[in-house]
Amino acid sequence: MPSGRDIQVALIGQPNVGKSSLFTRLTGVGVISSNYPGTTVEFEEATVLRGGGRLHVHDLPGTYSLSTNSADEDVVIDMLLDSENDAVVLVADAMNLESGLALCIEVMELGIPVVVALNRIDVAVRHRQMDIDGLSRELGVPVIPVSAKTGQGIEELLDCLVEGGPRVSGYRPDYDDHIIEYAGMVEGMLRDTRVDPSGLSIKLLEGAGRFAELITPEERERVEALREEFLRIHGDSIDIHIAKDRFAAASGIVDRCVTKTARKRTRAEVISDYTITPSTGIPILALVILGILAVIIYGGSWISGLVEEAYGLIVGDILLDFGESLGGDFWPAVMSGLNESFIGILTLVIPYIMVFYIILGILEDTGYLPRVVVLLDSLMHRFGLHGGGFIPLIVGLGCNVPAVLATRSLSSRRERLIACCMIVLAVPCSAQIAIIFGATGAEAGIQYALLIMGVLLVIGMAAGLLLNRKLPSEPSSLAMEIPDLTVPQAKNVLFKMWSRTKDFFSIAVPLLIVGGVVIELLIAYNLLDPIVQPLSFITEGLLGLPAVAIVALLMGIIRKEMAYAILLVLLGGATLTPDQFVVFGAVMAIYMPCLATLAVMGREIGWKDTAVVALSSIVVAILVGTAFNYGLRLF
Amino acid sequence: MTTGNREDYLINILRLTDSKGGVVRTSELAAFMDVAPASVTEMVRALSEAGLVDYQKYKGVSLTDAGREYAMNIRRKHHIVERFLTDVLDVDHDEAHEEACRIEHSMSDNTANKFCRIIGTRQDHDCATCGDPCNRDEDCPTLETVEPGTKARISHLRGDSASNVKKLLSMGFVPGREVSVVSRIGNGPCVLSLGESTIAIDSELASAVYLDCDAGTAQ
Repeated sequence: MPSGRDIQVALIGQPNVGKSSLFTRLTGVGVISSNYPGTTVEFEEATVLRGGGRLHVHDLPGTYSLSTNSADEDVVIDMLLDSENDAVVLVADAMNLESGLALCIEVMELGIPVVVALNRIDVAVRHRQMDIDGLSRELGVPVIPVSAKTGQGIEELLDCLVEGGPRVSGYRPDYDDHIIEYAGMVEGMLRDTRVDPSGLSIKLLEGAGRFAELITPEERERVEALREEFLRIHGDSIDIHIAKDRFAAASGIVDRCVTKTARKRTRAEVISDYTITPSTGIPILALVILGILAVIIYGGSWISGLVEEAYGLIVGDILLDFGESLGGDFWPAVMSGLNESFIGILTLVIPYIMVFYIILGILEDTGYLPRVVVLLDSLMHRFGLHGGGFIPLIVGLGCNVPAVLATRSLSSRRERLIACCMIVLAVPCSAQIAIIFGATGAEAGIQYALLIMGVLLVIGMAAGLLLNRKLPSEPSSLAMEIPDLTVPQAKNVLFKMWSRTKDFFSIAVPLLIVGGVVIELLIAYNLLDPIVQPLSFITEGLLGLPAVAIVALLMGIIRKEMAYAILLVLLGGATLTPDQFVVFGAVMAIYMPCLATLAVMGREIGWKDTAVVALSSIVVAILVGTAFNYGLRLF
Repeated sequence: MTTGNREDYLINILRLTDSKGGVVRTSELAAFMDVAPASVTEMVRALSEAGLVDYQKYKGVSLTDAGREYAMNIRRKHHIVERFLTDVLDVDHDEAHEEACRIEHSMSDNTANKFCRIIGTRQDHDCATCGDPCNRDEDCPTLETVEPGTKARISHLRGDSASNVKKLLSMGFVPGREVSVVSRIGNGPCVLSLGESTIAIDSELASAVYLDCDAGTAQ
């Protein structure tokens, strides 16, 4: 047994087969997993110490095949071709083995050591008999039944990996003579390659771009000529014939190794049909949205009251007393400002942000979101997106950063730009939602919070319509697998809620303390006015807010919830009028994405477009804020 | 007057008009086919009434667009069969030609398409005008045209965009697999059951997935 050495393995599998859940099981490192295709867009790595060796496990985005030339797929192929990588854990869904095996065969053809992790075995044993040994014999690699949900088979899989269990398989699909003939011609002209030459020839014939980069331009031309010749003779491109034979091989293996027992339609399948039939699906969607709003509004304000009470009981006047004990004017002011903003931030984060993330986690894990994607596909096309664009928008309601990353699942740059623009302008993140409902809603009335949400919806749709008309058109098409509906597991929902909100405590609170001290210092040395006055024509003139609000808005660029917390420090016990809360809530929801969003957006869609989007968000925010300011005065 | 006979006339008119600027005299046609001029005139009248040829006395016969398409389809089948006999079964070329002349009349379009895609059709002098021989399947249903509830085998994929075809292939839409249409959302996406997956694809992708020609009725 090799000991004391480093072993690199990659988890590869089709979208939504449970790679991330399995990764969490294998490594104990929690990563976000959900029940829709495309949850993982960036790959994660973690190390497990076992048997004296170090096992480095990589969680990769899901991919259906290795030949469609998409960005996600390139990440996977690069990992496969990386000479550092020792083996592949091919994660297949035992309930959907045929397409899993097609990908497995594709990986095995490249001559890479593979072990198959047959996930969801706990569900599969109830519905079918599987000949695991037979499967392993046919494929020529170890097959280990596992369940990321129950933990079954995880130890066996880890043992297999550290003991060098993964095998290079000699299995090849029974390709048509014409394909063999062409593959032979390609192989004949290849010089030494890093991957199996016969596997590489097949990939080249399939027109897989990443693999074509491994050969010289002259060789590429000759491959292209062969592909064209095949197309001319058969009227079909060779990719189709190769995929056909590969699926036929996978289907043959499944026929021989899996015996399905007849089963009734489950309740989940019946409900599923209602959710994707428009006549029932649209009313269900409306109910779901209303339900979510109700939980945020009523649940949020109820918990908010509890938190405020608890804060009074636990912390009480400690901060204020501490300030007094330090004496002078400065420290009591700092402490009373902090006291106010702690109450502000805690009564926002716990009730609104945490509750929202629990709702989002439940939505993600039921598998309901892909069904909404299907229902809204036609609507989204008006904004130049297909239904899949709905997922980043929903993710954006939690945080705009993963939302921008999630736009990677959209194929063209045009779609990504439109989606990012809609996210930044019109999708309030959980912190913004918390301010809209927890501050504006509480101070000015819930109808104003709903009004702001309505305005955001209109802005988002207008931005989509406008960009769709202005940007040169590019075809985009929806193809999405619809997962089974499942009951979410509380553990996963709570884990996701915690990993998505812990930053509020670890980053926001220290930031708030530093910010509070700096602001009190500025006030103490009369430096605040010179800073806020130059922009007072916007704050006071157009928006009707106190001039100091500009500092709160600027702090909000660092983190959105800061805007409200710092505002409370600035006001030092005073408060805004209800009308001012409405204006503040609206402006804060629209203007300027936070720094983290800006950074990730610059990287993903380029700095130039990011700057344009950010600047236009400021303009729109000022326009909307001004309209609210003057509009409210009329009534 | 059998269909086969009519088709022989059409295919021979096609052969002669290809090289002669579109019009052939009935006497030439009679000589080429080795039949009596009177039979030719009779047949040409009949074909003219069917709208397949233009016949002008003293000038000659030419194919109408419909006639030309009909003739080319027959010649395509002839060519596919001949290829199969010579390339796969090693039959002598002359014998293969004779047999193809008989089989071409009885082979369905659907079978010809399937034959063609499997063996491929190298273009040669005899088929220079066949164009794209395997691409005559506009009449076959696609996932976009069939009713929800339809269950059928995928016959082939065809679309303007190579990347769409790749996307479909990778998700398991490969010829030979059975697919059923679960529902369709307005004019938008349709939800399909393929193997053990449920997949939604929009109408553009759906229109690239051709089904066996006998599909199309809900089962």
